[in-house]
Parts: sequence; structure tokens; C-alpha cells
Amino acid sequence: MGGDPKGRAPLRGSRGRRLLVEHTMLAYAARRILATIPVVLLVALFVFSLLYLAPGDPAAIIAGDQATPADVERIRASLGLDRPFLVRFGDWFFNVIQGDLGTSIFTNLPVSHMIAQRIGPTLSLMTFTLILSLSTAIPMGVVAAWKHGSWIDRAVMMTAVFGFSTPVFVIGYLLAYIFALRLDWLPVQGFTPIDQGLWPFIRNLILPAVALGLIYMALIARITRAAMLDVLSQDYVRTAKAKGLGQGGILFIHALKNAAVPIATIVGIGFAALIGGAVVTESVFAIPGLGRLTVDAILRRDYPVIQGVVLLFSFVYVLVNLAVDLLYTVFDPRIRY
Amino acid sequence: MFRREFLKTTGAAAMAAGTLAAPRLSLAADSKVLRFVPQANLANLDPIWTTQYVVRNGSLLIWDTLFGVNDQLQPQPQMVESYESTPDFKVWTFKLRPGLKFHDGEPVLSKDVVASMTRWMARDSTMGVPIKKRLDALEVVDDRTFRVKLNQSYPRMPFALGKSSTPCLFIMPERIAATDPFKQITEYVGSGPMRFKRDEWVPGAKAIFEKFDGYVPRPEKANWLSGGKRISFDRIEWQIIPDAATAAGALQAGEVDWVETPSNDLIPVLKQNSKIAVDIADPLGNIGSFRINHLHPPFNDVRVRRAVQMALSQEDYMGAVVGSDETLWKTLPGFFTPDTPLYTEAGGAPLTGKRDYAGAKKLLAEAGYKDEPIILLVATDVAITKAQGDVTADLLKRIGMNVQYQALDWGTVGQRRASKEPPDKGGWHIFHTWHAGADCVNPAPYTAIDSSGPTAWFGWPKSDAVQEKIAAWYSAPDLAAEKAIIADLNKAAMEHVVYIPTGWFKGYQAWRTNLSGITKAPFPLFWDVTKA
Repeated sequence: MGGDPKGRAPLRGSRGRRLLVEHTMLAYAARRILATIPVVLLVALFVFSLLYLAPGDPAAIIAGDQATPADVERIRASLGLDRPFLVRFGDWFFNVIQGDLGTSIFTNLPVSHMIAQRIGPTLSLMTFTLILSLSTAIPMGVVAAWKHGSWIDRAVMMTAVFGFSTPVFVIGYLLAYIFALRLDWLPVQGFTPIDQGLWPFIRNLILPAVALGLIYMALIARITRAAMLDVLSQDYVRTAKAKGLGQGGILFIHALKNAAVPIATIVGIGFAALIGGAVVTESVFAIPGLGRLTVDAILRRDYPVIQGVVLLFSFVYVLVNLAVDLLYTVFDPRIRY
Repeated sequence: MFRREFLKTTGAAAMAAGTLAAPRLSLAADSKVLRFVPQANLANLDPIWTTQYVVRNGSLLIWDTLFGVNDQLQPQPQMVESYESTPDFKVWTFKLRPGLKFHDGEPVLSKDVVASMTRWMARDSTMGVPIKKRLDALEVVDDRTFRVKLNQSYPRMPFALGKSSTPCLFIMPERIAATDPFKQITEYVGSGPMRFKRDEWVPGAKAIFEKFDGYVPRPEKANWLSGGKRISFDRIEWQIIPDAATAAGALQAGEVDWVETPSNDLIPVLKQNSKIAVDIADPLGNIGSFRINHLHPPFNDVRVRRAVQMALSQEDYMGAVVGSDETLWKTLPGFFTPDTPLYTEAGGAPLTGKRDYAGAKKLLAEAGYKDEPIILLVATDVAITKAQGDVTADLLKRIGMNVQYQALDWGTVGQRRASKEPPDKGGWHIFHTWHAGADCVNPAPYTAIDSSGPTAWFGWPKSDAVQEKIAAWYSAPDLAAEKAIIADLNKAAMEHVVYIPTGWFKGYQAWRTNLSGITKAPFPLFWDVTKA
């Protein structure tokens, strides 16, 4: 996460200061991106080792239930699964550093192609969920803090507890039952790419995004409330009130900006929960995304696909954290890297 | 002013959304598009490389077969126009129908059949390998004629070439069929009624089949895998929906037309919907299997196997697997599929009547069982195996066995069951599965009854009596002789406890009532299905 804020000696002129800030920010970002490489490589080694040690045999699954043991053995050999760990890892690693994630054992398609096929639905779902969660949870947290101790506060907190404690799949089934089967407002399942129409695209995402976003919403609403409670007790807020500033201006312009750092932190941390939740949500709503690809690959022991997807997720997660760190400087100009 | 701006903005947004919204094919009520939810994900399409049923089912659309079985399980000529054999069934000559074409426009020739048969014989242990062992020559006579010369009689050649159990003999172009049988093919070009749209394939999500205009159906009416395979759809979309509740919901909402294997739990809900029809999917059903490792103590002693057999209640198993709907299952004191010509209950007494726990305990004591741990592998991610495993754990405890229930996923069970190591060194004693009824109609496709020891299916049972009966069946001259042999075989397999059938059960399929022509069969049949 973010490094310690470092004070910098002021330069002459605002332009000079801005240039220096931009330069150090870029250098920091470049360093962090370079630092992702060993992290991703370590993740790669860890995942490869874990899969090697894990029980299960893709050859047995390919051969099917009626296959003879001899057939299973021959398939295992043809897939190269009988080779020693280091040979397999070396081959895979050499290909990965050349940008080749390998070929799926089952589909015979390049892993990069399979990821490309699936990344659109997952990105759409996560973006939609993010927009929905942030646009709902932050106002909820702000209002709860403003009306601290009132029934509104309690209602928001109860909603948050509900969001935390209800599994994604339960929410998913409930939403599908009410809004798709009973009311017939939205589809039960599936995904429509945006190039087939904006409304069909959104229609398919509403229920999964609500189901996936509820826990995220609860998390952000609680943190927003806590951060706002702290900020609202500060002297400058009292001063703003005394100067006659409107409630909306105080809450959303002055106070919220100062409460934004912990909120940004929790948005970043919550991203991992979002990735995990997407796996379940995509299964419940039959969205052909990376989550379902991962589950299918794990169940079938499709090692190259599992490794490819985990590498991608770890890389994205590192980038999200970098983005959060950089956002700190936007919300709090005192923070420097 | 604000209100007016708001209305203008939202109105414009709504119009923009309406303009952007293009018609979506899969939502359109298009009678030329069939949306089907298969039993599992179609992860690849090489029906020789893998024996998964879902791959076989998709392959039936893409590739055609030389023969096809009808609903009496009798092989009928399909790509073959005519055939003959010598009286001793050693030399078989086949002639292909004229006008057969692959999806790339090339004609289907004898050389393609020879290459396809060669690949199939390397992988099909039930009938392909036995033919290969008897093979003197497999030769092209001319573009439409090929010949099989054997050194032993093989009367069941048409059945072998048209059997529905996996792997089936699908005819591929020679260049594709030349692929190593243990490696996956890279092209999906067949001569069946539909072509595969590889460019639209998203494994795990959808598979699209498009009508092949060059297909020449036989003149007869379709009957299972035989006859004229006339498809009324331009496009068949397989939508992979792994969650049973979501698939049922999609069917109720009209988002899909046909679900191959809806969950039994959801059948009452589907039956209440007037726009959905529910019926038995496969009339041949499935046989539940209690598979025993014959290599290691205590189950290498037939008395221990018999002890379990005399205590095992098929009612308990079927109740756990299928539920309270008793129209879906029945007890099975035999190894062969009920309601088929060779079905027999000869020797099935150990599985009928009151269950004898005291007798089982006594037999275990006689066999010297001394509380050794019994390793039970249970694939908990597959509902049928999980249900059987739970009943078995209870059964073994009741008869005083020290059961170790190992909860695994199917991928791990698939690996562990191949181990011949002692159970305390990574091996196993028991696992559960089930066998498609279509594979248990006679000994040829029935790998689970093979009792050849080291080369038998997992569990490696060895019984000369069983093997003698299987060999005799291959040479049986007529149905009466077959029946007599199968009765003896059933008895021998029951005495040896090759495995223990846990009952016979069926499943449902469900479809929107605007579909007609759906047939009960062990595989989804798309020919003659129409959509209003």
C-alpha cells in the first residue's frame, strides 16, 4: 500500500512544484510497476508448485469414466504430465517470459485467447459493480455519519450488516427469483456484449452487479461513515458551518475529500473480494467471464489456464493497489512519494 | 427548470438506449434457432481422444457414423449403403452411400473411413481393440468401398461400427483421422448434419452449430442414431449453464428452449409451469455402482465382498440419489439394463429380500476382518457419487467396518482410483460411479463387468467364469443363446461380486412446449425437433 508521506522542500513557483511532483510520481509509478515483476513471478512459482502438489489428474478426466488405466497413462504421457517438476516449470516459465501462457489441456486453445474471450464480461461486471457500489455506498456512509445515531444511521448500518452476512449466491438467487422470474423485469442469466446494444448490456448486468456489489457496498458504507464521523468532529468543519456554508457543501466537498484516503484504501482492498465474488456471481448468473473460466479450469485441473488466470489476477491486483496509492496524492496533496 | 432539464436528459438517454439496442438473436423468438443447455461443458470436440458423453453428443451433430443404433439398439446402415460378410463373419465388405460430403466440400471416401477406423480401434477398448486384435487387413477397395479382413469370426461388426457407447466410430477426413489417437485433433470437420462454428466457440459458455446444407439424409424416418437426420434449425446454440437452478430459471423465463438434465429437486417447480414439458430423458437410465478394489485386503476375499452385498439396500441408495420420486428408479438384482432384450435377474438373490446385517458381520468375522480402515473415495462435487458415498459410509458402519470417508472432488477420485497401491499407501478400497444403461445392454460396451484382472476396469476384478461367459456371448448364434449366456454371466458376476449395482435410475429432461419432436434416448437427438 502507500508509502510513508515524505515532506519536500518547496520550490520556487507553482509550475516548478507541479513539475517536480509529476516527475517524482512518474518515477514512483515506474518503480512500482517494475516491482510487480518479481511479485508476479513469485506468484507464478507458488501457483505452479501448488498445482503440482495438489491431487487430481486431467488425463483421467479427459479419458472419461470408461477409459482403461492404460489409456489414462498414455494420455498423461502425451500431455507431458509425467515429466519432472523442474522440467515442466522450466518449460512453462520460459514460455511465459516470452508472453506465451501456453495452451489449454482440454480445449487445445491458447490460454491468452481464452482469457481474451472471457475478460470482457468480467471487466464489465466489475466496472458496473464498482460504479453501483461507490455511487450508493459513499452517499449512504456520508448520510449515516451526518445523521449519526438517528434511524437513518441505524438503517444504513443494518443494510451493511445484511450485506456482509449474506452470501453472494443467496442474494443472487433471491434477486433472480424476484426480478427475473416473478416480475419478469430482467433476464435470469447470460451476458450481452455492449456492441449488441447498451440496454441489453446493462439489463444483463444489473442483478449480478447488485448481488456482487452488496458486500462491497456494505464495506465502503461502513468505512465512509467511520471516516466521516472523524472528519465531521474537526474544527474546520465547525468553522465552515459557522461561516454559513450549506450542509451539502460541507459534507460532500470539504469533509468527504478529507475522509477519502481510508475510503480509497478500502476500495483497493475490497477489489480482491470483488474478484473472489465474481467467481460465484458468474456461476450463478451464467456469465462467461474469468471467474467461471477459473472454476472450470480448477475442477478439470487445466493447469495452464489456472496459471494464466492467476497470473493475470495477481498483476491486476498489484496495479489496483498502485492506482490507490497514487490516488492518495489527489485526495491529500501533503502526501508525496 | 431543473425538472424540465431532468426530463429532457432522461428522455434522451432512454431514446439513445433504445437506438443502441440492437435485436439479439438469442432472445429473439426465432423458430430457426434452438437454445439448448447440455449436461456439461463442451470443453473439446475430439470424440476419440476423450470419452465424455457431452463430447459424444456434440460430435453426433458434426460427424456421421457408418451405422447407427435404433431404439431397439439394433445397428442400421447410416453412411453405409450396403454391406456383406462371408458366412464365417471373417471378411466384411462395405459400400458408402453416394453423395456424402464433408463440411469443407470434399467427398467422403473409403480412405477416410480406413483412417477413422484405425484411430478408433486404437482407443475403443470394448470393441475397437478386439477388432484390431483379430485384424488381418483393413483395405480400400475403391472410393466408396472398403473391406475388413479378420482372422477370427466377428458377427457383431455392424454393432461395433454403430454403437453409441463412447468412443463411437465417427468418420473424419483422412488428414484429421491421421492424428495420434492419444492427442487431440485440431480441426472439427465432419460430414454430419451440422457444422461447428469454431469462431463462435467459447469453451465453458457456448458452442454453436450451423446447418450444413450439403448433408444428405437417408430417406427413412430418423430413429435414434439411424435414419434421416433432418434438422429444422439453421442454428443450434449450446449454452453452458453449470448451475442447475439458473438453468431451470432460464427455461422458465424462456431464455433457453431445452435443458438436457434439469435437477430432480427442481422438477416439481418445472412441472407446475404450463409452458414447460417434463419427461424422462433416457429410457435406458443408469446403473449406480459400488466399485470395489479386488487387489487388496480385505476385499480381495470374496467373503468380504459378499458381506457388503448381503447388507446393501438398493432402496437406500436410490432414495439418496434420486429422492422420493419412485417412478424414477427401481431395484436391480442384476448387471444389465432393465427393459432390454438381455436383461436378467438370474443369480440376483443376494441383492433382494431383507438385508442381513448379522449375516454380514458373521461373514466378515469368518474372513478375518479385524477393523482395518476401509478407504472410501467420495467425489463430493458430483451429487450422485456424494449421495452413494454417504449411504455406503453408513452401511459399512452398520456391519462393523472401520470406514474412512475421504471427501474429494471428481478430478482427484479420477486420479486416485487408477492407483493399484495398497490403500494405506495412497490406494483405495471403494469408490462410487454410475454406468449409462446404454453401455450395459450387452457385454461389448460394458467395461465395468470385464473381469480380466490387471487389464480390467478400475478395481481390477479377476474371474475366469465371468470372462468365459463374455467370450461365449461374442460367438452366440442367436438371441436365445445370447440370453442363456447372459443369465450365466449375471450369476457368475454376482457370485464373484465384480461390483455391486446400487440400483437403476433415470433422469428427466425439460423443454419449452413450443418445441415438438423431442425423443427419449440416451443422448439428445436434434433431428425432427421443431420450434413453433
